[in-house]
Amino acid sequence: MKPFSASLDYVGRTVMHYVEEMGRIMTLFFSILFWMMRPPLKARNIFKQMEFVGVKSIFVVVLTGLFTGMVMTLQGYHGFRLFGAETMVGSTVALGMTRELGPVLTSLMVTARAGSAMAAELGTMRVTEQIDALYVMAANPIKHLIVPRVIASVLMVPLLTVVANFVGIAGSYFVGVNLLNINEGDFINNIYKMLELNDIYSGLVKAAFFGLVLSVVGCYKGFNTTGGAEGVGRATTQAVVISSITILVSDYFLTAIMF
Amino acid sequence: MIKLVDVHKSYGKQKVLDGLNLAIEAGKTTVIIGRSGGGKSVLLKHIIGLIKPDSGHVLIEESDITRLSEKDLNEVRKKFGMLFQEAALFDSMTVGENVAFPLREQTKLKDQEIRQIVADRLRAVGLSGVEEKMPSELSGGMRKRVGLARAIALHPRIVLFDEPTTGLDPVMTEAINQLIMDTQKNFNLTCVVISHDIQSIFRIGHKIAMLYEGRIIEYGTPEEIRASDNPVMRQFLSGSVDGPIKVT
Amino acid sequence: MGSITTEAKVGLFILIGMLLLGYMTMQVGQRGVGIKKGYNVDVVFDNVAGLNKYSSVQIAGVEVGRVEDILLKDGKALVRLRITPSVTLEKDVSAAIKTRGVLGDKYIEITPGTRGMAALEPGEQIRNVERQADIDRLLNQISAIADDVKTVSGTLSNVLGGQAGQDSIGGLLENMQALTRNINSLVVSNEATIRSMLLNAQELTNNLNRVVVQNDDKVGEVIENLRGASREMEKTFASFSQIADEVNRGEGTIGQLMKDNTTITNLNKTLASLQEVSDKINQGKGTLGKLVNDEETVNNLNQSLSGINRYVTKAEQFRTFLGYRGEYLWDKSNFKSYLDIKIQPKQDQFYLLGLVSDPRGRLTVRDYTPTGNVTTRTEEWDKSGLLFNVQIGKRFRNVVLRGGILESTGGFGMDYMALNDRLKLTFEAFDFSSDRNAHLKGYADVQLFKYLYLTGGWDDFISNRGNSSGFVGFSIRFEDDDLKYLLTSTPIPK
Ligand SMILES: Nc1ncnc2c1ncn2[C@@H]1O[C@H](COP(=O)(O)OP(=O)(O)OP(=O)(O)O)[C@@H](O)[C@H]1O
Ligand SMILES: [Mg+2]
Repeated sequence: MKPFSASLDYVGRTVMHYVEEMGRIMTLFFSILFWMMRPPLKARNIFKQMEFVGVKSIFVVVLTGLFTGMVMTLQGYHGFRLFGAETMVGSTVALGMTRELGPVLTSLMVTARAGSAMAAELGTMRVTEQIDALYVMAANPIKHLIVPRVIASVLMVPLLTVVANFVGIAGSYFVGVNLLNINEGDFINNIYKMLELNDIYSGLVKAAFFGLVLSVVGCYKGFNTTGGAEGVGRATTQAVVISSITILVSDYFLTAIMF
Repeated sequence: MIKLVDVHKSYGKQKVLDGLNLAIEAGKTTVIIGRSGGGKSVLLKHIIGLIKPDSGHVLIEESDITRLSEKDLNEVRKKFGMLFQEAALFDSMTVGENVAFPLREQTKLKDQEIRQIVADRLRAVGLSGVEEKMPSELSGGMRKRVGLARAIALHPRIVLFDEPTTGLDPVMTEAINQLIMDTQKNFNLTCVVISHDIQSIFRIGHKIAMLYEGRIIEYGTPEEIRASDNPVMRQFLSGSVDGPIKVT
Repeated sequence: MGSITTEAKVGLFILIGMLLLGYMTMQVGQRGVGIKKGYNVDVVFDNVAGLNKYSSVQIAGVEVGRVEDILLKDGKALVRLRITPSVTLEKDVSAAIKTRGVLGDKYIEITPGTRGMAALEPGEQIRNVERQADIDRLLNQISAIADDVKTVSGTLSNVLGGQAGQDSIGGLLENMQALTRNINSLVVSNEATIRSMLLNAQELTNNLNRVVVQNDDKVGEVIENLRGASREMEKTFASFSQIADEVNRGEGTIGQLMKDNTTITNLNKTLASLQEVSDKINQGKGTLGKLVNDEETVNNLNQSLSGINRYVTKAEQFRTFLGYRGEYLWDKSNFKSYLDIKIQPKQDQFYLLGLVSDPRGRLTVRDYTPTGNVTTRTEEWDKSGLLFNVQIGKRFRNVVLRGGILESTGGFGMDYMALNDRLKLTFEAFDFSSDRNAHLKGYADVQLFKYLYLTGGWDDFISNRGNSSGFVGFSIRFEDDDLKYLLTSTPIPK
């Protein structure tokens, strides 16, 4: 009986731990909203984060988008050719990119690049007492450190997604029309026919949401780091894992709501 | 002015503060001494509300900061300056921006005036012209002095120093002691200093408090402390390995 | 690179991103949503399976608009079209759902109406809808009839083949000749009636024409059947001409028949009585005549029709909404929840019933004066209790005024609707007690998705009891059709 109740206890405590963590992340989210509406926000801080999250991620995002578009085209081509529908490849890629892959892959890349860095940076600030120093100087760390990161992510991830979508479709065009000799007119017309403004916009809404997720989770993990350098490492890993899982799972629900 | 009443604080099973009582006088420098790992830094963080006690009260000018909301606590903190043991400089900012930070946050001074004050404070800690360096480009002692400059940038009414002279050469140590004494006198500050440096203790302290096993076991003027016959105090001042303080 | 500032880099990136987005949306937008401008026209179909949002709307194969929205309305599909501003549709245009391409894409074909007819106003409904299912049935019936005709004519030609048959036909023809003469005189004396009849027939053929044009395949089939029938008829006519020749030569029974006056007299008599009946109808005699000519009947009919109309529009207008609203009061670190039902019997009027759970509870102050005249005042916070909302509201364009019971006290509220109702700015005032400031609340709702709204504002902002708090939260609002049908099908006392 003993091991049974012990394991039950363990399960219960693990579940409670996650529920509590969810609650704490939500609380942090609300205080972020609260501080966001308390001027003055330092434009310079936001710009710095925008540069870090946005500008410096362009390269990885372009590479990811480009090769995703190209590979999908190559793969799709062989399948569609069986039905003589290879001109549909472009529209399939365009739909896939704008609706799902663009936002999801972009935010996963940004999570890996910037979300982890946010956790590491804030974690280091926590263990070297820099966050305490902010409190001492009556400067709220949520407003100073987290709000600019969240704003920057919510704005930049959609913008990066636009770039990923564009180069993805361009890559698909290059492979499809130039390498696989699909009829150019049909290829493009099918994209026009299938792709709708809503596909692009809903993808961008998703991307903004993912930007919110990855920045809030990254900052939460960093902000609550304990245990020195090792703790910073743990916070970083957890931030990436939790953000990625949340992005993938919430993508499903967002898709279910939107389409 | 600052009063700690029956403060308890434990980390896990370890009792760091165990019913500590201490009254710190306004306009004086109080030095806190005690063995390494004895809870001095923890005590200092209680005074500024960074750590909440498990039980007990911390009174700053009659208001119990353990009961205050974050918003009101913030108002109280505006009276404070603090030097952290590891300086805690913002490593994403230059030295100049670090020292200017409290000025930017809490005053409406113009850029020009702020730059003036920053240069002034840095000169006082013997670091003229390092404004554009990053903290990672400084030595440990230099960082500590920048931290000191930041702590007194605003001339707050209460300043907490966590080991201001540890890691400095004797000349620099004396210069910093001088700086603390001067600022304290000129602006009639309330200072709380943690120090391991016996010479400095007697030089700058109006009052000295000895923290041992979670309580203040001795409190008095430098003369009183020097004359104390408490064996712990005696061993601590003489720096002997034999006595009630066990190294292991 | 070093000299470029952070702001410049970010700005450049934002510019590039926006340009790409602009380019993509413009490319897609051209054919995607197509017409941002233009006006809306509704049309109701029984079934729109396969029709999509943004499906094409065409006249003669030329795209003139797109499907903007497809809604369910009383078990039918209400399709909202957006028509290019340069295209005007006459009031009597008709719409049909057509199929094109191998993939079976559906689109809406509009058949132009009468030239010079008044144009449809934006927001009006296209009344003529070709109902696919009915036409299928009709065409099937027609072809069945054609089959019947074929059999009959086949039998007929067989019958006519024999001598006896020829004889009787000859007689028949004699009679017909006389009949025609009589009919002629009838026609002359009833010219007006006939003319209107012809006009009706013309209209009928026009309609038929349209039906036929739009159902090419089926019609082809029918025509094939008819052609078979007519071939049989040809044979019949050949026999007729043979008989006619014989009649001319004065052979057989026919000669006699022609001389026989009685037949003609009989026929004449019949025709005369027919004429009498139709005269009577015209003059309003007899039951049928009365019915047709009676003003009252017409009025009654009209009235009952408009009554039905009114009932139908009422049911259409009647809408019910369910809503949930959660507000996080950050100064209190509490959640305030609202659950409500909004019943909207008319477009611009509604009733709101709701429950509010306020974690702060409600303060009740009681003055108690016992026999001595010392007044004790007790204040009670009722934390567990739910609060009620019962409000009536009316909408004037963008402004909604409502009042009644707000959070279990009297009060009123005002909403300003903007951005096609996607943004709502609200001000509420209630709880006007003499011993404390009124409860004022202001907030904004922004629609995020279909049902999800983000909300934020300030609750109880002039409170002198420390209840003032900003809040953020969300609300979910959706229309509930089941509830609506429950409410409209239960008789409502007038
Ligand atoms: N966040 C924490 N979690 C767990 N234990 C802690 C924490 N902070 C401090 N401690 C423990 O409390 C004790 C007192 O720490 P403190 O930093 O106050 O020592 P100190 O007196 O400042 O020492 P030193 O003179 O070396 O700086 C130490 O034994 C330390 O292990
Ligand atoms: Mg210490």
